[in-house]
Amino acid sequence: MPRRHPLEFSRRDFLRRAGGAAVAVPSLAAILAACGKPDEPGQTGSQARTLARPDKPVTLELNGDPIGADTPIEEGATLQVYNWSAYMYKKVLKNFEDKFGVTVEWTTFNNMEEGIQKLAAGQVDADVFFPTTDYISRLAQQDLIQPLQHALIPNMEANVWESFWNPGPFYDTGWRYTVPYTIYTTGVAYRRDHISDSEADAQGYELFFNQGAAGKISYYDSYRDALGMMLLRNGVTDPNSGDPAAITAAKDAILEMLNTYGARLTINGTYAKLPEDEYWVSQSWSGDIVGAKWYLPKGTSTDVLGFWYPEKGLIGNDTIVIPKNAKNPRLAHEFLNFFLDEEQGYVNFADWNGYQPPFTTIDPSALIDDGVVPEQLDRAVVTEDMFTTAYIQGELEPDIDDLWLAAWNEIQAGG
Amino acid sequence: MAEAPTGNEVTRRRRSRSDRRRSTATTRETGVWYPKAYWPSFAAPGVLWLAVWFLLPFYVVLSVAFGSVDPAFRLAEPTFQFWWWDFSTFQETLEGFYVAPAIYQDPAIRTLTYVIVASTVCLMVGYPIAYFTARHAGRWRSLILVLLVAPFWISYLMRVYAWQSLLQPDGYINDILGVVGVEPILWLSGKQFTVILGLVYGYIPFMILPLYASLDRIQQSHLEAGRDLGAGPARTFLRVTLPLSKQAILAGLVIVALPMFGDYYTNDLLGSDATSTLGNMVDNAIVQAGQQPAAGGLAIVLMVLVLIPMLYYMRETRRAISRTS
Repeated sequence: MPRRHPLEFSRRDFLRRAGGAAVAVPSLAAILAACGKPDEPGQTGSQARTLARPDKPVTLELNGDPIGADTPIEEGATLQVYNWSAYMYKKVLKNFEDKFGVTVEWTTFNNMEEGIQKLAAGQVDADVFFPTTDYISRLAQQDLIQPLQHALIPNMEANVWESFWNPGPFYDTGWRYTVPYTIYTTGVAYRRDHISDSEADAQGYELFFNQGAAGKISYYDSYRDALGMMLLRNGVTDPNSGDPAAITAAKDAILEMLNTYGARLTINGTYAKLPEDEYWVSQSWSGDIVGAKWYLPKGTSTDVLGFWYPEKGLIGNDTIVIPKNAKNPRLAHEFLNFFLDEEQGYVNFADWNGYQPPFTTIDPSALIDDGVVPEQLDRAVVTEDMFTTAYIQGELEPDIDDLWLAAWNEIQAGG
Repeated sequence: MAEAPTGNEVTRRRRSRSDRRRSTATTRETGVWYPKAYWPSFAAPGVLWLAVWFLLPFYVVLSVAFGSVDPAFRLAEPTFQFWWWDFSTFQETLEGFYVAPAIYQDPAIRTLTYVIVASTVCLMVGYPIAYFTARHAGRWRSLILVLLVAPFWISYLMRVYAWQSLLQPDGYINDILGVVGVEPILWLSGKQFTVILGLVYGYIPFMILPLYASLDRIQQSHLEAGRDLGAGPARTFLRVTLPLSKQAILAGLVIVALPMFGDYYTNDLLGSDATSTLGNMVDNAIVQAGQQPAAGGLAIVLMVLVLIPMLYYMRETRRAISRTS
């Protein structure tokens, strides 16, 4: 699932991997918890759940009561934010501190597995957490997140697209546990000084197999995004496909792209390296290409940035949740509400993040007029109706996930 | 050789001092009384260190490799009771080396190739440098030694970033090659050469320093003896210098080769998936749901691989000791 890091020290591919090493070491709590007899395989967990899909929305069971609407704000508290690195504008955090007279402490994780593991093992104290949508139902079922008190988040209905609260997103109808943070599509970014718009339009996904850009191609180092896009490119219409032949074909396409067209797997190809002209074509979350303008060398115009996105491509969103054991649950609700505030959320997006919040107050044409999104990147603007037509990736059955991971392993082993 | 007191003198001197205690404590041959655990206790910090920072973590690796994953998040659930260990995942990992599609085969071959080639290059380049520094550097010697250590003032990571920018398609190296008419080379697009270059660059000081220490200790008189006995410079080198530095060569090779086996960051920064090694496969597996036991299994395989040169080194060292004593 998507990871972006605008305005971050650009060598984060390494940092991401280095951070991963921390995952393998279990906490003392995990060691003690594991001292019982190992579980028998094939029990609870995923089998017991219906996997959420846009056409099969899921209403999650409440694992308790939300906090009372009259819960007092924790005065002088330190709010613990557990987030992807560089995914939030520090200035907005500061605004929050000032408004409530509290301190915000910010802890980061580099990949979802690390985030989940530390949260589950109690290694981090978090009041707010930023999971991808495919983890929501498991987090709720495992009692790791708490139901939201809607009365404390009035900005949801005031500012957010109706589909996110009425009836609510497919992974959490009735928004019992989540509010949306950002929305994004996944398309193809390109350098317009090397590839013309008409060429990009004509080629679409085939840009990754463009001889003229060979050696200048980057692709996300993230298995769901990587294989998912190749499935679509191969004409498969299910981005969660469990068809071994389809997965193999997607894998082969990626290997061809890597081996014949000199593509590289990296996470910072779009936002950091494309602006530096190191890549001409790159797989791109919409927020990455919008944020790429901050990385352009002095004197390079935003005109060089291009973004292709098909009629029906990949789309998704990230969420904010409150962990079950949050020490400041009321303040956490305020935090969610604060980031859904039209002004704060907009500043976070426009001045830093590049990732758009799903606000009714954001007018796509105004974004372009105000220069937040350069004119030629109009396809990187996400609109509410796109969510009804585009492809959304959801949680996979473990055995299907294993197929995806086996294909991914083969890619990482160099084919 | 410094004049060492003979055993007898020491015994005599010590005995007289400890005579007084004789009635209350056991004496040894040396005459000085020490509690039985005195000398072994010197090893305690080391033993403790190894237990806490090696044996325990290694047991955790085993417990992850032979453990399970939790059904919800598919994260490692180590099995700490070895009687419940489950070897099926490990079996599958091993099959990844020889049962089609044998995805670990290429990384394994690459790992071995890179380590062997890079260590050899380290030796070939490092030996002459060490030799020159020990023998012919004269008053420049200290300066050379300082320069050899100087790269360590900057973190390895930073230095590899420097290589990244040098090797970029429009970096200085391609610029220089362009002057003589060479088309820009995509050094960073999974070239084996670049990865080996990075390894050699990163580890060569660890080869030079032990070689220097050893070559510096070889006594001039030994070389003169060789020359006196009619050997030419080449023969003296082959028959005297080289054998006398054999232990240092082995030590240098072990010091550079062992970390190279597990080095994944050099490849992360300078290579691509086309050059991924076993270290990369471990690193990749750790951050994927459901794959942490496989990462543990691969770590064990890597460890066994590393044990082979290590055991050879230990055997050679023991032989060398028994020859000299």
